[in-house]
Amino acid sequence: MFGGLAPWVPTLFLITLAAKFWMEPRGYRLRSVLFKVVLAAVTLGAIFFSYGSVKGIEPGVSLIVVLMSLKILEAHTAREFQVMVIFGWVLCLCGFFLSQDLAVALCLLVAFSLFLVALIQFHRGSSPGAFWPPLHLGGKFLGQALPLVVLLFLLFPRLTTGFRFQIMQPSSATAGFSDRLSPGSIASLANSSEVAFRAEFPDGRIPGPAAMYWRGVVLSRGEGFEWRASESPASIYRATTPFSGDEGIRQWITIEPHGARWMFALDWPSAPPPGASLAPGNYLWSYEPIRKPRRYEVKSSPAISDKELSPRERKMLLEVPAWLSPAVRDLAQSWGSSSSDPRAVVNRALQFFRSGGFQYSLSPGPYKERDLDEFLFHRRLGFCEYYARSFATLMRLAGIPARVVVGYLGGEYNEFGRFFLIRQADTHAWCEVWLPEGGWQRVDPTSVVAPERVNLGLDSFLARRGVSNRASNTFAMNVAQQPIFTKLRLAWDSINYVWDTRVLSFDAEAQRSFVAEIGMSDANPFSLFMRTLMMAVGLLAIYGGWMRLRTRPRADRVKALYGRFCRKAARLGAERQPWEGPLDFSRRAADLVPDQSRRIRDISNTYIALRYSPEPTPSILDTFAREVNAFSLATRGRAR
Amino acid sequence: MLDVTRQPSPFSTWFANGIDPADRFGVKDRLDAFTRQVCEIIVGKTEAVKLAVACLLARGHLLIEDIPGVGKTTLSQALARSLALGFQRIQFTSDLLPADILGNSIFDRDEQRFVFHCGPLFSQVVLIDEVNRATAKTQSALLEAMEEYHVSSDGVTYDLPQPFFVIATQNPQHQVGTFPLPESQLDRFLMRIELGVPDRASERAMLLGMDRRDMLKELKPVFSIETLLEIQQNVRKTHTSPALLDYLQDLLDASRQRHSTGLSPRAGLALLHASQAWALLSGRDMVLPEDIQAVGVAVMSHRLGHDIEQPGQSGRTLADALLRSVPVP
Repeated sequence: MFGGLAPWVPTLFLITLAAKFWMEPRGYRLRSVLFKVVLAAVTLGAIFFSYGSVKGIEPGVSLIVVLMSLKILEAHTAREFQVMVIFGWVLCLCGFFLSQDLAVALCLLVAFSLFLVALIQFHRGSSPGAFWPPLHLGGKFLGQALPLVVLLFLLFPRLTTGFRFQIMQPSSATAGFSDRLSPGSIASLANSSEVAFRAEFPDGRIPGPAAMYWRGVVLSRGEGFEWRASESPASIYRATTPFSGDEGIRQWITIEPHGARWMFALDWPSAPPPGASLAPGNYLWSYEPIRKPRRYEVKSSPAISDKELSPRERKMLLEVPAWLSPAVRDLAQSWGSSSSDPRAVVNRALQFFRSGGFQYSLSPGPYKERDLDEFLFHRRLGFCEYYARSFATLMRLAGIPARVVVGYLGGEYNEFGRFFLIRQADTHAWCEVWLPEGGWQRVDPTSVVAPERVNLGLDSFLARRGVSNRASNTFAMNVAQQPIFTKLRLAWDSINYVWDTRVLSFDAEAQRSFVAEIGMSDANPFSLFMRTLMMAVGLLAIYGGWMRLRTRPRADRVKALYGRFCRKAARLGAERQPWEGPLDFSRRAADLVPDQSRRIRDISNTYIALRYSPEPTPSILDTFAREVNAFSLATRGRAR
Repeated sequence: MLDVTRQPSPFSTWFANGIDPADRFGVKDRLDAFTRQVCEIIVGKTEAVKLAVACLLARGHLLIEDIPGVGKTTLSQALARSLALGFQRIQFTSDLLPADILGNSIFDRDEQRFVFHCGPLFSQVVLIDEVNRATAKTQSALLEAMEEYHVSSDGVTYDLPQPFFVIATQNPQHQVGTFPLPESQLDRFLMRIELGVPDRASERAMLLGMDRRDMLKELKPVFSIETLLEIQQNVRKTHTSPALLDYLQDLLDASRQRHSTGLSPRAGLALLHASQAWALLSGRDMVLPEDIQAVGVAVMSHRLGHDIEQPGQSGRTLADALLRSVPVP
């Protein structure tokens, strides 16, 4: 939450708070103006030194936090308290500049509510101990404000983006993998539980876990142990033809910002979503770096669409670095010469990995930069990226065009939100080889070495092998593995997902479609604003009316019914004097209207019982209403 | 004038659960018998008798304002005898001193100390004849005893007997040589009633009937003192619904707006207790606006009667107008 702020800023806040609690009972106060000025100047200087500037979001928020901290030290009067509460609310708003996560939002909501409660408590007087009433009242206030909040959220005109505003520059540009696969780059991600993206399958067609290869970026420039993507995919000649047919698997993917341009889809995306292109190698390439969460629909087909390989591409896909050792070249060429069928070559290579004593390990120890021999012939310890890289290199040496694909494998299914959550830890690298008869084929050498890695997902795989280095505390790990916590985590993830997709990404466009959906298609911002205003006023009017209705005296219905009875009796010629009691009136009216005397007496007695008796049973009220209505019928019958 | 002489009617349909309200305290029959017995002696004065009984039940004191010879003493004696209460009559005169009614401390030679001898006030029913004839000093001694239910002499407090019921009379005519009770002291009386001359038929019945004094001697107690005290307790428990209290407060507010000296809070309490007693007498366990109206004139007239803004009007007229002007909510 305080990620962007210099650590001393929240610390200063806590210190001043503690200092205030220490000072106040002892009667100490900050009186010296000079001291205050010096303090303010020092902290301002500290902000400037921390950020190098006083402009920008973090310095701005830090400034408010620091000034608020100093105000805490100084504040003494009621007015200052109220100013501080208002400042606190502003600070709550500032929290959203730093992050718009659900967790942060909930924290800020709690803080906001507590400010409200503090204000209420302050106005209730200084009686200590009574904590619940102001809390209750504050909750009531917030509950009453809720419909208005929802209305404004839905209808208040958005100027540009949704609530997700990206004011901070992404700090270190990229999260997740890079377009360069160098030794160890994926291992560092294996410990990251950060969310990469979430995927939904709206049609309900979900591929099996072993087939859930999320394509990220294709690395077709191989240099032995280091692979790179093409410089810029758009600059390469496009051989892609749009896939036709709708057998594909539809996915809705909500991607977390990672600062690069790749987008994810299952193997193999058939058409790019808006704002992206399908790069050669069949991966999605966004026109803009992804700096804010983005939701898109993409369709993937189980068969790749480009079946042709131009000579130029073929040449590029067969390039190998010159420094490869003869042993490696010999190994590959021995496969290539033994069979002319590329499929057989691939199988032999896989056989080599399967039976060669290779082992899966996320910490294989350091390899030298170009030491492919060490990996292939001696140590034989590594994880997906090692296998993918060496496999692709060997394939190229054997004369088969090959490339490395980096993306994600598997994902965690969230049964509450019905979506897959793919974390950075699910990063995976695999190979694709070009076969003359079938075009590109996916080959995952890791699956040969450690089949469970593919079938189970990394987490379970590591847990089964007991080599997890993620949590040093196994007890905590065990607790975290309990079904209840898993469920809680899944539920939290799904709420987060809803927050991201429904609340934060409700931008101008989503609002427009929503407004059109509820039948106000011609809404320009001004008319939308006016309508919102009208609805808000209407809502308040309804609310006010409801309050009046609720606080009206309870006896009203009895009184109103009796009034009706009296009007009816007056029509029959027996008018009740205002000062006349019900008993007197019943006697007089019974005398005046003898043929109705029995009814009049009954109604009056019921009224007396309802209005004056110690414990009127509520059911009498219905009897009374029926009697009064029946009196009306009797009146009409008499009139006829 | 409101019709206050009605008879209690059966309220069998009032309660869905079928409980007879009069049986809530189990006193209706005895109260009816009591009222009937007094009414046999004071013929044709049902309303006044009922008000007097209500005053007794509400633990108030009664001021009867009427010409001599209409049966004030007889009424007091009938009330006392019907309940087997001790009775004392004190004739107030201008030379009466407080000690004459309260009692005296007299030196007892045998015991070598002062002994308090209780005055005639130490009785359960006390009839004060012509209360406005005594001087203010004696009047205030009496009224203090009425309010406090005890008498203080030489620093010692002597409790008056329970129940303690004062019936004071004053003559509206022949005001020469009297000391009219000040407003503040009139307020101590729960009710002021007038007996008035009986109608022709009643007077005939009285003329033909037995000697009242003989009749009084033959009166049998209807119920015991303990029962009376219990009923007095129960009067305060008669239910007053919020709607009724609204009406009561409307009356008080209206009196305060209309008259320079409106009804005091004590008057409000008096009105409440009197109407509770009246409701109980009518066989109800809840107070109706009619009960307030029934006792309204008796309770309010002497409290409104000396309005300097409307000097010509008697309290009775003012109270009546007030009751007619405030709508029953």
